Amino acid sequence: MSAAFELRGLTAAVPGEKRAIRLVEDVSLSVHAGETLAVVGESGSGKTVTFTSSLGLLPKPGRVIAGEALLEGVDLLKLRPEELRRTRGARIGMVFQDPLTGLNPVFRVSEQITEVLRAHLPISRSAARDRAVELLTRVQIPEAARRVDDYPHQFSGGMRQRVLTAMAIALGPRVLIADEPTTALDVTVQAQMLDLLGDLRDADGMAMVLITHDLGVVARQADRVAVMYAGRIVETGTVAEVFAAPRHPYTISLFRSIPDIEAPTGTRLTPIAGSPPDPARRPEGCAFAPRCFAVSDAAGCRSVRPLLAGVGHAASCHRQSMLETTA
Amino acid sequence: MSTLLEVADLQRSFGGGRTLFGRPRPAVRAVDGISFTLARGETLGLVGETGSGKSTLGRLVLRLIEPSGGQVRFEDKDVIGASPAALRAMRPRMQMVFQDPYGSLDPRMTASDIIGEPMTAHGIGRAESARRADALLEQVGLSRAMAARYPHEFSGGQRQRIGIARAIALDPSLVVLDEPVSALDVSVQAQILNLLADIQARSGVAFLFIAHDLGVVRHVSDNVAVMYLGRIVEIAPRDMLYGAPRHPYTVSLLSAVPRPDPAKERGKARIRPIGEIGSAAALPSGCRFHPRCPRARLVAERGGDTVQAAGARLPSICVRQDPMLAPPEGGADAARSTVSASGSRATVHLAACHFPHDD
Amino acid sequence: MTTAIETIDAVAEAAARRRAAIRRYTRHPGFMIGAIGILLLVMVAVAAPWLAPHSPTRTDLMNTLARPSATFWLGTDQFGRCVASRLIHGAQVSLQVGFFVVLISLSAGTIIGAVAGYAGGWLERALVAVIDILLAFPSFLLALALVAARGNTLDSIILAVAIAYTPRVAAVMRSVVLTIRPRPFIEASRAIGLTPWTIVLRHVIPNALPPVIVVATVSAATAILAEAGLSFLGLGVQPPTPTWGNVIAEGQTAITTNPLISLSAGLCIAYTVVVLNLLGDGLRDTLDPQMRRNTGKLL
Repeated sequence: MSAAFELRGLTAAVPGEKRAIRLVEDVSLSVHAGETLAVVGESGSGKTVTFTSSLGLLPKPGRVIAGEALLEGVDLLKLRPEELRRTRGARIGMVFQDPLTGLNPVFRVSEQITEVLRAHLPISRSAARDRAVELLTRVQIPEAARRVDDYPHQFSGGMRQRVLTAMAIALGPRVLIADEPTTALDVTVQAQMLDLLGDLRDADGMAMVLITHDLGVVARQADRVAVMYAGRIVETGTVAEVFAAPRHPYTISLFRSIPDIEAPTGTRLTPIAGSPPDPARRPEGCAFAPRCFAVSDAAGCRSVRPLLAGVGHAASCHRQSMLETTA
Repeated sequence: MSTLLEVADLQRSFGGGRTLFGRPRPAVRAVDGISFTLARGETLGLVGETGSGKSTLGRLVLRLIEPSGGQVRFEDKDVIGASPAALRAMRPRMQMVFQDPYGSLDPRMTASDIIGEPMTAHGIGRAESARRADALLEQVGLSRAMAARYPHEFSGGQRQRIGIARAIALDPSLVVLDEPVSALDVSVQAQILNLLADIQARSGVAFLFIAHDLGVVRHVSDNVAVMYLGRIVEIAPRDMLYGAPRHPYTVSLLSAVPRPDPAKERGKARIRPIGEIGSAAALPSGCRFHPRCPRARLVAERGGDTVQAAGARLPSICVRQDPMLAPPEGGADAARSTVSASGSRATVHLAACHFPHDD
Repeated sequence: MTTAIETIDAVAEAAARRRAAIRRYTRHPGFMIGAIGILLLVMVAVAAPWLAPHSPTRTDLMNTLARPSATFWLGTDQFGRCVASRLIHGAQVSLQVGFFVVLISLSAGTIIGAVAGYAGGWLERALVAVIDILLAFPSFLLALALVAARGNTLDSIILAVAIAYTPRVAAVMRSVVLTIRPRPFIEASRAIGLTPWTIVLRHVIPNALPPVIVVATVSAATAILAEAGLSFLGLGVQPPTPTWGNVIAEGQTAITTNPLISLSAGLCIAYTVVVLNLLGDGLRDTLDPQMRRNTGKLL
């Protein structure tokens, strides 16, 4: 089966003082219809830039310098701006972290949804409005027919995120990209939102990309996961594989640093020393080497950039074999 | 251990009064009758969602916001009645760490000046303050060489370390931590949590740790209080609260937390509250949680005295009567909403619910 | 051992930081032109007694309205005084007015605005009412009335113009302070037990100052214009003291025969206004340390 959305060797950069600074480097991933791929990473890991750049939304002066972004086989990066714009709204939906920034405060929700519909479809104003009510009902906003004419500020944070989701799925996209969709929400509301996203994916057979920093959300929601660090994918596999036996020291360290609600109490967390590197000053060799517990000069950690190795469950680490034998 | 902080029936409402056209404006009861005690050297975790009033409570305790009513006693001194000068004299002993590591440091001051400021403000000479600031930088895991840097030259985690150094500069006995790690990346959160644990172990400072992350709160706290719409709905020693939560809200909070374990996550039956936290401007009658409470709906199905409310059939007591914090068995004498940290703390598990999970 | 090295590191870092700060200013063309322009003007004003070829007040009725020549660079006025010398000496008055007006209005306006913005409550309402009333009143008319009441000495002109400009600074200051007051570091300052005054002086004002300094620099230019206007109307510094406004006023009678007199004084004023505005814009771009945030980082 071919992927609904696939990135091949995507590399995006901004001009730097001496040479171009690579924000994301050689990112390859794919997501199939009906499947959820989680992309995990810390701030600055490039998890968001990967998708903004593949959709032609990377702010200037950043640009994609290599790679392909295939939507059902068509390379988005080769489309003309007008074609890309149409594709973005219609075939790929997006939901962002901050539900306030995605909505214009001076327009009614009905106006904002009908605007999306009428920009892409030849339908009348009243038909578009009916469709807007339907969409709000689908994202489980109570009393949708009455609330459709409210302004964004009249909705709570969780409800706003639902409105944005309704706009994202308005044109029946094949791929839904959700960037930290629940980070700004409280935990009980987050649970409701995640359920909604899962239901929508199953009902429409969409391919879903879930960008998050929360490993709990990944465990709950995703089928496969890609872990990003310093602009690269360092580990990828099915959620079951990666969570059962993480292979990259960064992933292993992440699991050790989370205070879980059922872990034995009184234990000390094992933090990762230091902080992620500045994209302009990424170390040579493995970018994680300065923070890594398994770093070894003999293995070339500080000189040779490791490549993703493995079939299915892959990790980019020179010390993989060592970690496996000790595990 | 002796009591450090005693809070009794603390209240704060915002707004109220009338609009320009004489219409009454609803008062927001952000904190509505909160009582608890905190012993020296201990950590009380305060969890709640947005709008629960937990941040307001932290500021009321330090009187950074003036309360509308209630009592705060700190080191046997009255905080609420203290004059501005007396309050300033208490400040070295009670400090705060803020959520926003970017905004809570003056962008025009160097790290050394920021950490030294509480000392100069309380009568320590400039040179001595700078010397101690250097030592504090090292204590929080930064280097002296960073003393002359400005906040924007530090990462988020480093900035939070500066905020912590400032808070412990005068060796306080209480630090209120308002979401100290929520703005930080996961790998950095653990560094800060360990740093806080080290500081507490060394100096015996007590923490009032405010957070929305149940995992973080469990990791740091001795006792935990759960807030909902301005009230503490459950308060207990940490392991009791997480091991056998009594209030339906706590139960659903714990059930909603996604855990990094796919096997458990997939099989889990979730107990989910309905809708979202309401507004403290329009408090529900009776129990504040009744419009969202899954348990009330189950209890009503078993029969008894029920009414139609919030779009469902609910036990009428939930809609009519505001429940008090009470221990299991509902002893009337223990209905006071305090958890005594001295001696009895191993057993007191209070919840404000008519039908708690007591089985 | 390490601490000694760290101290050296810290000192070196501080020096590098200072160099970087200076570079920020020297690389801004507007700031450099404005600063050099003002510096030149100050030098001219200070060196006026030596620079001016003639006494600015000595009349020579035999040589009135002379054309520019080697001895009288810009000719003479209707009393036979050297126009160039009068303009050179006039720079002293203009710069004094500009300097003291900024000094007075900046300090008074900053304090009033900061107190109004930080205190809130009735104090803010009262101060804002006064500021608004003064702002609603045309500042030039206000200065005019004050000069008329106090007599037209240089002091009273400076005071009049300063009073007219203080509310502008105060209004800007207050609005900036209103954006600073809710920032968490102000609450942090309260939490460590600083007094309200210390917070205003150490945290509020330094963070609010950049935009206010820009306003003040630009008001120096308008203050110089105001002084020239008052002098032109005969309410400024009294003749025969040379000021640019006086030169324009006196040149007016000969404007058809010898327009150079008024024109050259007008150009002096225009020059000063332009360099002060350049300086103000340059300061706006360079004063803010937030700007530095964007130079070092790319994301």
